[in-house]
Amino acid sequence: MDAVLRGFREKGLSYLIVGPFAIVLAFPFYVMVITAFKQQRDFYDLSHSPYWFHKGPTLSNARFLFDETQYTTWLRNTAIIGVVVVLITLVLAVPAGYALARLSGKLGQSVGVGIFLTYLVPPTLLFLPLFSVITQLDRQTSHLLHFHLRGSIWSLVLVYPSFTVPFATWLLMGFFKTIPRELEDAALIDGASRLGTLVRIVFPISVPGILTVVIFSFSLVVNEFVYAFTFISASSHRTLSTGVYTDLIRGDLPQWGAIMVASLIPSIPLALLYNTFLDRFIAGFTGGAFR
Amino acid sequence: MEALAASRPRGRRWTNVLERPSVLASVLISPAVIFILALVGGPLALAVYLSFTNAIGGSLHGRWIGLGNFRHEWTNPAFQDAVWHTFLFTVISQAIVLVVAGLLAHALLKKFPGKWLLRFLILLPWAAPLPLSLMGWTWIFDTTYSIINWTLQHLHLVSTVSPPQWLAQPRLAMGSVIAVHAWRIIPFATVIFLAGLASIPKEVDDAAAIDGATGLRKFWSVSLPLQLPIATVALLFGIVFTATDMAVVYILTNGGPPPSNSTEMVTTWAYKTGIESGSLGAGAAISLFLLPVLAVVAIGMLIFARRAEVT
Amino acid sequence: MASSDDPSRREGRYDRRELIRRAGAAGISIGVAGSGFGQAFYGPLRFKGRWLKGDLTIIQWAHFVPAYDKWFTDVWSKNWGQKNDVQVKVDLILNTLLPARAAAEAASGSGHDLFFNLSPQAQFEDQVINHAEIVQEVQRKVGKIGGLGKRATYNPKTKKWFAFADNYVPDPVVWRHDLWNGVGIAPSTWENVRKAAPKLKAAGHPIGIGQSAELDSNMALMAFMMCFGAYVQDEKHRVTVKSKHTIEAVKFMADIFKSGETDEIFGWTPASNNNFLYSGKGSMILNAISATRTPEDLGLPFADQLYIYPIPKGPVRRMGLEHVMGSYSIWKFAQNIPAAKKFMADLEINYKDAFVASKFYNFPTFPGALPFKRIQKLAAADTHKPRGKYQILTTIAQKYTVNPGYPGYTNAAFSEVFGKFLIPKMFAQVSQGKMSAADAVSAADHDFRDIYTKWRKLGKI
Repeated sequence: MDAVLRGFREKGLSYLIVGPFAIVLAFPFYVMVITAFKQQRDFYDLSHSPYWFHKGPTLSNARFLFDETQYTTWLRNTAIIGVVVVLITLVLAVPAGYALARLSGKLGQSVGVGIFLTYLVPPTLLFLPLFSVITQLDRQTSHLLHFHLRGSIWSLVLVYPSFTVPFATWLLMGFFKTIPRELEDAALIDGASRLGTLVRIVFPISVPGILTVVIFSFSLVVNEFVYAFTFISASSHRTLSTGVYTDLIRGDLPQWGAIMVASLIPSIPLALLYNTFLDRFIAGFTGGAFR
Repeated sequence: MEALAASRPRGRRWTNVLERPSVLASVLISPAVIFILALVGGPLALAVYLSFTNAIGGSLHGRWIGLGNFRHEWTNPAFQDAVWHTFLFTVISQAIVLVVAGLLAHALLKKFPGKWLLRFLILLPWAAPLPLSLMGWTWIFDTTYSIINWTLQHLHLVSTVSPPQWLAQPRLAMGSVIAVHAWRIIPFATVIFLAGLASIPKEVDDAAAIDGATGLRKFWSVSLPLQLPIATVALLFGIVFTATDMAVVYILTNGGPPPSNSTEMVTTWAYKTGIESGSLGAGAAISLFLLPVLAVVAIGMLIFARRAEVT
Repeated sequence: MASSDDPSRREGRYDRRELIRRAGAAGISIGVAGSGFGQAFYGPLRFKGRWLKGDLTIIQWAHFVPAYDKWFTDVWSKNWGQKNDVQVKVDLILNTLLPARAAAEAASGSGHDLFFNLSPQAQFEDQVINHAEIVQEVQRKVGKIGGLGKRATYNPKTKKWFAFADNYVPDPVVWRHDLWNGVGIAPSTWENVRKAAPKLKAAGHPIGIGQSAELDSNMALMAFMMCFGAYVQDEKHRVTVKSKHTIEAVKFMADIFKSGETDEIFGWTPASNNNFLYSGKGSMILNAISATRTPEDLGLPFADQLYIYPIPKGPVRRMGLEHVMGSYSIWKFAQNIPAAKKFMADLEINYKDAFVASKFYNFPTFPGALPFKRIQKLAAADTHKPRGKYQILTTIAQKYTVNPGYPGYTNAAFSEVFGKFLIPKMFAQVSQGKMSAADAVSAADHDFRDIYTKWRKLGKI
């Protein structure tokens, strides 16, 4: 009886904490959903509640987005950039993070700090020299490979790891540190090589950490806008944010409805995906290896 | 790496070398370092060079004027304001994030019906592409159509003729950008905290229970110290996201509202000076001002994280 | 890899092939066309004796009238490209991001052949060609460039045309006739505006002249200053903001704010004053005609009540600014300078279609390109109510529109004052009661002098 009561109390407390915050955090999305399906005249009308439809919902905003703009291209470009950048990030950051967590001496530590410090450089102005670098490279690639780096999504693929790698390296370092050393020591005593231990023991139990890095790197890429706006100008190479800002904000007239649709379409599946990943990686942390 | 490991019988010497921790570390770490140096090193050096010149309008050259830009900005009230605003923006938003994310992570650790849905709602802000979700916020804060004002007006809490202007009144504007920024970092911090909590071995919990530690005491003496390394990393990233980012402020207020440009940050001021007004050298100087400060903060926090981890 | 999955590029290649095919049909092999022998087959040279070929890339803002972009890209540029055997590619960008993109292109020494901006970018003077040749070519065809265009794109100090302005947008006052009728006044003078302001606000319909860090506020307040005889600089580009006229203007605006506006004007973006009007709340704003076009398109109930006036008369004069000054620059490093020059000249010489496609938004910088009489006729044919309301735009354009920085030129120092939104700041300090008018003007004067000294040292003014 006592236990049941305590269970109720604990659950109640959880709802009390999580519920209100969830509502506040998701509130803008409620507004977005309503606005996305509102008729344009409806949301310029102050006399009716903004919380619900007055003239009835419409698909015209969504139709506008898909028929009049290259929205699907923007989505695809963003997805490609995100996936490739995440792959590059993992290849570079997983070994580096492990090295920083376990193996390095003094020199290694300062290198690690150095990696982190590059992350502190604000992109506000760094985009100018970086764009020059891309242009230089472009001269090579267009000459040798007949491929234009500048103005293509691949220029972003090249540049984005400059902030995802330091980020991921440090996050992973934190995760690797939580893995008990004894686990590796045991494997080493069993005669495995360090590298073998790394690949066979350490990486598999780091899957949760790696998943976190995947999620966060991907969202960093999707959130970025300074490089995306300045590097890309051709409509077929636009990312989500550049596309929306260019084609849906016309001078002083934003297409509010279509903007909200554009924003919801990637958000909801991504949040679902993150949520699923989250289960997986929390399970990993609490599961087998630690018990 | 796999290939290396697989080729062990043939490349015995290689693996022997790799058995030495320092060598292995260098091998593992160098790709990341080389990549970053190659990509960011040059541009960063160039930015540093520019900050000592009077370069204008997108030309990457200028006359050397030493510390002129730095001296000028140092005494510029607009820049001083921007530094102060950046400090407030960072500290307050991160404080909110720490508290909220801490609470959420602890609450989410337990099982309860509907948790999946609530967690989904909490993750939404991080999943939404920031420039787009910020458009949602500009609509929510709109001077005329603000849904917040509509609600407050219908509860008769504010005047209908001159309701609060979330992005137009200095204090409110600062509050709004801080709130929006916290809004977008909270999911990130919550996830990191969750991971940190989940990684605490069960044995520690059991041991604490045997010692009779419960509730708050357990949290202070057991959970918190164990979480510190990862929490510090999360906080550090939060600080960096906040201090070097300009998306939220640029899109919501563009540094306004006047008169004192109450939400002008170092980043937006650098952008206005260097890009929109063409004084590239000065802009570079402004954007580099933050670097040493952040570096000190970062190194301090990293040392702290290491200490915390040793105990 | 990228080029294969990029439809536009594929399309481009196809079009090129198409062009070559066309050229082939005319009896020219690729080699001949490339080596310039083709001239003979294509008749007299159209521009300064150059044979045009290759690609022409353009970047410009996404126009507030989407139909203009369609016309510009799919009709005008396509036709022009076919006529001149040039592949024209137009990229669009959000207007507020133009400066960043321009800086990136200038810094890297590569980019679009024609770079558009909403206000001429004097700070890029060293990186762009002298556009004099285009101006001369257009002048030869349609007559002299307007004073407005010249003052916005010519640097008298270096004797260089640092941009070619093809259009400007008049900036009228847009007001609700029904609401103003209710208080029995019309916004013909600033004194009237001040008188009506408290009554309108009491009726729940405040005035909306921005004092925020954005383009519309900048334009409205600088124009307002001129009506009071206050100027940022004189014709010799000396800072003249510290004057009793400025102080009077700042005080006057603070009066209007206190009695007839709300705090929202401090947080406006270019879209907010439009929203303010569309909600039915606002009674008057200063904005380009996008503010009346949208209510027409949406069929808002009060669309017929939106009247257009020239800027109200001040104690000294009636004088307004353009709303935007559409101007193109050609980088020195542009790949196809000859085509860019000819494209510009041709666009300007045949401006009528552009004017119509922009729904009367864009006015040609060369008055001869589309005489005001013809504009009047076109505007009279617009059926929106009140009938003929757009005709007044010609009067505004002819009599009450000058360049930012008037009576001087729009130079780099002025652009910095503009880009840092120092004028709205000065006004807001007084409106919000943070400073006295005299102190705010002195502070602005100090900031301006700093900026002007810097650019003078750089030899640009």
